[in-house]
Order: sequence, then structure tokens, then C-alpha cells
Amino acid sequence: MKKITKLLAVVLCFALIAAFAACAGKTNNESTAPDASDGASTPDATVNIGDFDFTKTGEFTAENTKFVLGATGPLTGDASSYGISVQKGATLAVEEINAKGGVNGKEIEFVMLDDEADATKAGNAYDQLFEQGMQISLGSVTSGSCEQFASRTAEDGVFAITPSASAANVIAASDTMFRICFGDPDQGVLAAEELTKNYSNIGAIYDNSDPYSSGIYDAFKAKMAELGTEYTEQTFDKENNKDFSTQVEALKDCDVIFMPIYYTQAGLIAKACQAKGVNAVLYGCDGFDGIKGQLEGADVSNKIMYITPFDAAAEDEKTKAFVDAFGGKYDGEIPDQFAADAYDAVYVLATAMEQIGVDNVTVAPDAIGEALVATLTSSSFQYTGVTGGMTWDSTGACTKVPVVVELN
Amino acid sequence: MAKRKSDFKLKNYVCYILVAVMFLYALVLQMMGKLPKSTSNLFVQIAYSIILAVSLNLVVGFLGELSLGHAGFMCVGAYLGSYIAIALTSHIESKLLVLLISMLCGGLAAAFFGFVVGLPALRLKGDYLAIVTLAFGEIVRTVCKNLPFFGGAMGLSTVAIKYDTRSSTSLYIVAFITVFVVLFLIQNLVRSKHGRAITAIRDNEIAARAMGINVTFYKLFVFVFAAFCAGVAGVIFGHFNTPVLYSKFSFNYSIEILVMVVLGGMASINGSIIAAALITYVNIALQAKLTGDLAALKYLIYALILIVLVIFNNAPRLAPIKEALSPKNLFGRLKKRRPGDVSDDAGEWANIPTKIRMDEILSTDVRPGNEFVPDKEKKAPVKGGPNDG
Amino acid sequence: MSVLFDGLSLGAIYAMIALGYTMVYGIAKMLNFAHGDIIMVGAYAIYTTMVFWGKGLWVAVIGAAVLCTLMGILMEKLAYKPLRGASPLAVLITAIGVSYLLQSLAQLIFGVTPRPVNLGSFGSVEILGASIPVSTVLTLVIGAVLMAGLTLFVNKTNTGRAMQAVSEDRGAAQLMGVNVNFIIMITFAIGSALAAAASVFYLMQIPLVEPLLGSMPGIKAFTAAVIGGIGSIPGAMIGGVMLGVIEKICLSIDAIKDYTTAIEFGLLILILLVRPIGLLGKKRREKV
Repeated sequence: MKKITKLLAVVLCFALIAAFAACAGKTNNESTAPDASDGASTPDATVNIGDFDFTKTGEFTAENTKFVLGATGPLTGDASSYGISVQKGATLAVEEINAKGGVNGKEIEFVMLDDEADATKAGNAYDQLFEQGMQISLGSVTSGSCEQFASRTAEDGVFAITPSASAANVIAASDTMFRICFGDPDQGVLAAEELTKNYSNIGAIYDNSDPYSSGIYDAFKAKMAELGTEYTEQTFDKENNKDFSTQVEALKDCDVIFMPIYYTQAGLIAKACQAKGVNAVLYGCDGFDGIKGQLEGADVSNKIMYITPFDAAAEDEKTKAFVDAFGGKYDGEIPDQFAADAYDAVYVLATAMEQIGVDNVTVAPDAIGEALVATLTSSSFQYTGVTGGMTWDSTGACTKVPVVVELN
Repeated sequence: MAKRKSDFKLKNYVCYILVAVMFLYALVLQMMGKLPKSTSNLFVQIAYSIILAVSLNLVVGFLGELSLGHAGFMCVGAYLGSYIAIALTSHIESKLLVLLISMLCGGLAAAFFGFVVGLPALRLKGDYLAIVTLAFGEIVRTVCKNLPFFGGAMGLSTVAIKYDTRSSTSLYIVAFITVFVVLFLIQNLVRSKHGRAITAIRDNEIAARAMGINVTFYKLFVFVFAAFCAGVAGVIFGHFNTPVLYSKFSFNYSIEILVMVVLGGMASINGSIIAAALITYVNIALQAKLTGDLAALKYLIYALILIVLVIFNNAPRLAPIKEALSPKNLFGRLKKRRPGDVSDDAGEWANIPTKIRMDEILSTDVRPGNEFVPDKEKKAPVKGGPNDG
Repeated sequence: MSVLFDGLSLGAIYAMIALGYTMVYGIAKMLNFAHGDIIMVGAYAIYTTMVFWGKGLWVAVIGAAVLCTLMGILMEKLAYKPLRGASPLAVLITAIGVSYLLQSLAQLIFGVTPRPVNLGSFGSVEILGASIPVSTVLTLVIGAVLMAGLTLFVNKTNTGRAMQAVSEDRGAAQLMGVNVNFIIMITFAIGSALAAAASVFYLMQIPLVEPLLGSMPGIKAFTAAVIGGIGSIPGAMIGGVMLGVIEKICLSIDAIKDYTTAIEFGLLILILLVRPIGLLGKKRREKV
């Protein structure tokens, strides 16, 4: 009995190793082919359209009848409101573009899959999208998922521009990963400068369990140290702390509290401030968008300000048209910055695709990806959308001007 | 030799065959050059799920203690193993060697924590032990989240060591070989005299102790071994997934592994393998189908699996129905039972009510001053009970 | 000083939840994992009556109490009763299943998005120079009243004494003519009604309902119940308040504030190792 077991085990092991070796040899030869073709593109001041070959058909794109635009995001779970906003904004943009005749005469099909803000699930969703013929992409909505998504795009050369994954790791994970939102550090630096200039007694509270919040806060902290500004720091963990009395108590003497957090927690903190009679200005980042709904019926007297790329109440024509179209499609809903960034991201892709003149809907993802990277990083490319004017550098980061919105 | 041959039972090898079928399916596809990335990635996830489910089954099904911190051990392995792999990757060229070293390190680190948690496990049992393991899982998560070199809330970015699914050493091959090794170890443990000692502890700890079984050693051993396996699974996870983020290893994930064990059947390794593969596959398949708040349906199904299966398998009143429906009764006539056959199938771990009486008699040690005397305030209710007056 | 009062108000909530835990654990001898989720059910009941139907606070509270009690009884009848006499492991896994069931049902019905709910403003009072929200004082006072009431109920009424008998020795109680099933059902009903009370005070301090609302406070309250001595009614109260104060003190110390959760659970492990019966628990003979 024992001998048989041992023998079987040994045989099995050898079989596996043999299979493994055979297989390793085989795929090695195969993988050299695509590797050679997707060399890293170097940003160039002038993009020559003739440099790119759009006749190449990808492994899964042969049956496409439209350009396939893929994205993943949390459509369920705690972060679902962000994913759903992105879905709405992008769907609206795609419908508008298709109604006007599409890109270079070809329509775009938008597919968004759920990832529950979980990196593993984002990877699975990426696989499904890729095998459905995805050629261009909006990446993922949340930072952790988008890092996973980016690491996959690096394998296949798919171009992605994320509307909202703001962590620095995201665009670092792939050459073809771009973003249209601010980077986390940008907002922290900006807030540090603004607050130092305008207030004397500064407090800050952030969520140490959240990548977005920690990312902004780390940059804020570094900048404050550089500026030599003193401030009071408090943290919480959104899973475990929902009662903010201690933190608010520690910040009660501040004129302003910097809160790089999402609106749900911000609403709770605002209410805790009201209960404790703390009258500081609450200064947030783009995650504050939506805080109004949290404060309905509660008599919070604090002044609330936040940095955002998008103000739905702005008077310029583009914003008005977007807000009207969005409200018309979704029962009068007012778009938030996630929807606005997604809307702009789709238009950026469409504009760039028009510039490179790609009209083959079966084009391989890496071929169009290479061209898009070169286009976006070229110094002549810029786009002005509902979130303002923007340009990109070779890392994939976006430069644009934030606005500060005030609520009373 | 001929006599030995008769000992060979296919039943004992079903688990290898199950895994081999999946593995060969993927291998053949790959050799034909038709293995989509989604499939190879699915198999990696199935592989580490199998490791997690089988090792948790060792604790829950064979030892009979509930651990709610399995994801915590995986967390230790994933963070530490990936961290080591990232550090090594610039020094060692072979990706495979880096993976193997980090697997060993991650596993050992998790095993160490298994030892730390296992020590209190010796003093506690049942609900208390479950709560301690749950608390442990939360502690690990909190600590990993706050360690700056683990990337804080951003998670540990493992882009540097992540396996490219197109490159030569596809991770799923390594993962499946690891599954074979883990299965080999667990199968041999369970079928050895040590395995019988472990199940004896589950069935009646006092009797087992009386038989001279070193209960302390075995409990600790099972805990450490299961933690090691979870750690190894964590390292595979870290090489598959970027970033390694603490939020993945929550209590919910431990429950998901528990659902695999319960669905597959307590103390059934084959069952755990099938259930792990099934649940992993269904999860991915449902991901695209159930969106919006409907996704909660998945968790509703998990909950129902837990409740219905456990009640069905354990409710004393349902025992006759269960007996009537068991495969042995349905197909029993097809094969003869040999005397001395010991079955370790699902369901039989539930204790038989009459046993409790025996245990109580055994556990009541009557020494002077230690006789059974109801507490003072307890005396009144016993006398003045509702049916007394 | 202020930290202490903040801790008291948080601890009062833990104490309320822990009361329900300790009742059920003490008498039914099972860890009702779904207790925290009963609080969530209560919170959604309040949310629905107040926000959807526009009824007043009192209607909402009574509605929540009735719904939670019914849920508790239903849960016991459907999930736990069939397992009477089965191994503790099976009961525990089922309890986890019930907890999941309630969470996913809430998610299916109400969606996962957290929703703000305002029970109204209660103002605050000055005690010892610190301003304390009235809701905190209310939570503590009502918690203490409930604790006293429960102690009286368990010690002075026939049903209460039958509960003690079931807790002491289920088999013997049955032989003495106690209807064990009925007593355990009553225990669940009381435990769930306490959860409804806890949900009211929870919402007073944390005005947000979500499907996972009950899970973390539930686990923390169990920690509190263990610290106080599981099965002991005053123990749950003391344990809860202690845990709340410890949490707030940890949060107010810069060096350790990020590790608060780890410290709380570490404390639980420590207590279980050093004094498994908790502060006020009674020593029991270990039965295998």
C-alpha cells in the first residue's frame, strides 16, 4: 500500500515536471512573436499617423462590428455609487458620439463589468472584456482594481484612461495606463498651499484604511512639512469607526478641517461637528461630491468647501449642455465628478482616435494602444471638456485646473 | 505482493484525479495554443481556493474546531511572501526559484502565526476559539494595513513579481503542482495513525486523551499545518494579483472558504476540491451576470447553503431522512462493505446524543469541596420552579 | 475628560448590544452571530417608518421592537431549533449563515448605499464642565434601567427562574417540567427586543443605515460581553462601557490610534487566556 502510494507520487511528480518543461518550452517560442511588436512607444512632439499600422487584427477582435470600449468598476458593494456614476457618464458620452455618426464613421460599443472594487475581480473582468474584443478602455474606477487592470493592460498593450483611479501606483503599473482625474498627491499639495495661505489653525482628518484618502493625505503631510505649517492630525478607519466624537473633539479649536475622504463619512463628521458645536470650515477633496444628500434634514452650520474638477452649477456652455443631457437621460439626476470625468474620458478617446484616423473596427488592441499613447503624450494634444482643459505627460498623468466649490 | 494489491482502493486517489483532470485540461489547451488568459487565471484562482478549502477542512472537518481566521493566515502569507519575493527578484534571476522561496517563507510565517493562535486554542474550544480566530484575523489585517513597508492603505504593489500570463512559466502550473503537494501531504496525514488520532479528538476529546493521544500536540499541529497551507495560498495570490490589499482578507473571505468546506462536506477532501472549484467558477461567472444590488443574491445563496446543509446534516430529527437518502443506502447493494472499513464521509462528525451523557459523567471530577452544589442564588429557582408550586 | 464621556456614549451602545448577546449565550448556550444583524433590521425598520412613511420616532421605535422580536423568534424556530442537541460547531456555522442571510436580504431590499437618517436633535447637557449629548445620557440611563429590569425578571419571575434552570442544566430542567423550547424562544424574543432598543440608540449617535451596520458593533459587543463575563447581565453592561472607553482612549493617543481595533481584539484574546470567565462571570464546570 505504502509503496504504491510512494510510487504513484513519484510518477505523478515526474509526469508533472515533464509536462511543465514541455509546456514551458512551447510557450516560450510562441510568446516571442507578440513581444517583438509591442515595443514601448517613446513620446514624440509630432505624431506621424503613417507610423502606425491599423490593419493588424487582434486575437479576439476579428468579429468586432464596432470599437469595443471596456471598463470595470464597483457596480455593487460599498463603492457602487462611484462605479454607477462612471457607467452613466460614459454611456451618455458613447451614445452622443454614436448619434453623431461615431468615430471616423464607426460606432463605439461600451461594456462595463462589475468588480466590487476588488482587485482580483477586476482582473477576471479584464479577461472577460479582453476576450470580448476590447480595444480601448476606461480602466477601473477604484485605485486597487485599476492597478490590477493596469498590470493586465501592460501585458496586452491595451490603452486605458481611467476616470477616477487617482493613486500614483495605477499609472506607474503600465505604459498604456492614463488618467483623467487629478492624482491623489496633486490635491494634497494644492490643499496644503491653499490652507496655509488662508487659515491659521488647521486640522486634518483622513481614513487610514482607504487608498484614496491616505494618498491625498500623505502628499498633504509632506507639503505641510515643507511649508513649515503646524496642524492637528486625526485618523479613522471606515469599517470600525463610525462615531467621530473623539476626532472632532481633538479638532474643535481649528478654523478649518482638511478632510480628504468620501462623502458618506464626511456627512457623519459634519453631523458630529454640529453635535459638538464645532464651527470650523470643512475643506474636502473631490470625494466630497454628493455630501449634500447626506446632510438633508440635518442643521449643519459649518461652511463646506471642496476641490473638484467639475462643478455642476458652473455657467459655461459645455457644463450646462452636459448637465442638461445627463438630467434628460437619467430622470433629472445631477452628474457628479465621476460621471463628468468618465464623460470627458470617452470624448478624449474619441478625439484622439479621430486624430490618428483609425477606422478599422477589428484593429488589434496593442496597435491602436501604441498610437493613442503617442497621440496623448504629444505636446500638441490637448482637450477641453466639462472638467476643464487638460494635457498629459508621458507617465499618463493629467494636468488640469481644479475649482473650489462652496456649500453653506 | 498480490495481497497488497488488493489494498489498492481507487477511492483513495479520487482527489488527485479530480485535480489532475482540471490540470490536464488546461495543459492540453495550452499545448494546442488555445488556452485563453481567462481560463489560466481561473485555474490559478481555483488552485489557491482548493488549498484554502482543503486546509480549512483539516481544522473544521477533521479536528472539529471552527476557525474564522483562515483569511488572516492567507493575509500573512500574501503580504510577507510577496514582500520577500519583491526583495529577491532583483537578486535571483529565476522567477520560479523566487516563487518557491517566497512560498516557503510565506508559509512558514503563516505557520508561526498558526502556532501563536494555536496556543490559546489549547485552552479554548467551540465558540470561544472561533471568536479568537476571528479576532486574530482582524488584528492581522489592522497591523498589515498600518505597516508602512507593506504599502499602508494602498496595499503592497506586486507588479514587479506578478506573473505575465503569456510568459513561459504560467503561474497555474506552479499553483497546481503546489495543490498536488498539499493534497499528498494532507491525504497521507489523514489516512495515517495521526489522522485517526485527530478524528478521535474531534469525536471525543476525553476518550482520546484517555487512549494516550497527545491532544495538545495534535491540535497545535493541525493549526500550524493549516496555517502553513493558507500562507502558501496567500503567496500564490500575491504573485497573481496586484496589489495585495488588506481589505481582501476580511472575515467575509474566511466565510467564503467556510462555505466551500460546508458545501463540499465536512471531512471530505474530495468534496472540498469540487466545492472550491465550483464556487470559484460560479463567482466569476456570476460577476458579469449579477450586477447592481442583485449581486447580493450570491451571498444569499451562500447563506442558504450554510444554513440548509448544516441543518440537514446535523439536525437530530432529520437524521432518518438523511440516512435514507445517503448514497450508501441508495447504492449500498452495489458494493459489499468489508468489515473494518472506516468511513470518513460527510455528516458523521455530528455527535450522537447518547455520547454527551458519557462525557458529562467523565468530566465531573468529584473531590472534597468540589461536589456538585448549586450556587446559592441558583438554589431558589430550582426549588421554586414553575412546576413546583 | 471629554474622551471619557465619548467613550461612555459609545460604550453604552456596546453595552446595549452585549446585553442581548449575553442573554442568549447564557441561556441558549449559543453564540448568536446574527444578533448584530437584528440591530441592522431594527435600524432599517426605523428608517422605513420615519423616512418612507413619515411617521414619528415613537411609532418607529415600537415598529422596530415588534419586527425585531418577530425576527428573533422566527430565526430561532427555523434555524436554531432543528439543531437542538447537535454539535456546537453546527449551530455556530448556522448562526453565521443566518447573519449572512439577513445582510444579503437587506442589500437586496434596500440596496448597499448607506442612507442618512435623522432621529432629530436632542441637544446636550453640561455635566462636570463637559457638554454631553442628551442621547448619551438617555442611552446610559435606559441601558441601566433595562439591565436592572432584566436582572429582576430573571431572578424574580417564574419564567426568569425557568431560564436560569435551562441555563444550568437543560436536561434536568426538562425533567422538572420546564418547557425548554418555550424558554429558549422567550430568550430570543427578549434578546431581539433588546437589539431593537440598541438600534434606536445606535442611530441616535451614528445616523446612517447600511446593510453591514450590525456586523462590526456585533463582534465588538460580543468582545464586551466576554470581557464582562458572558452570561452575566451586569457584566455585559460593565464590559460594554469599558470597551467603549478603551476604544476612545486608544483613539485619542496618537502613537497607538491606528492600532485601536487590534488592541481591542488583542484584549479579548488576553482575557480569554487569563480569565476565560470574564470579570463577573461565574465559574462553570467545563462539559465536553
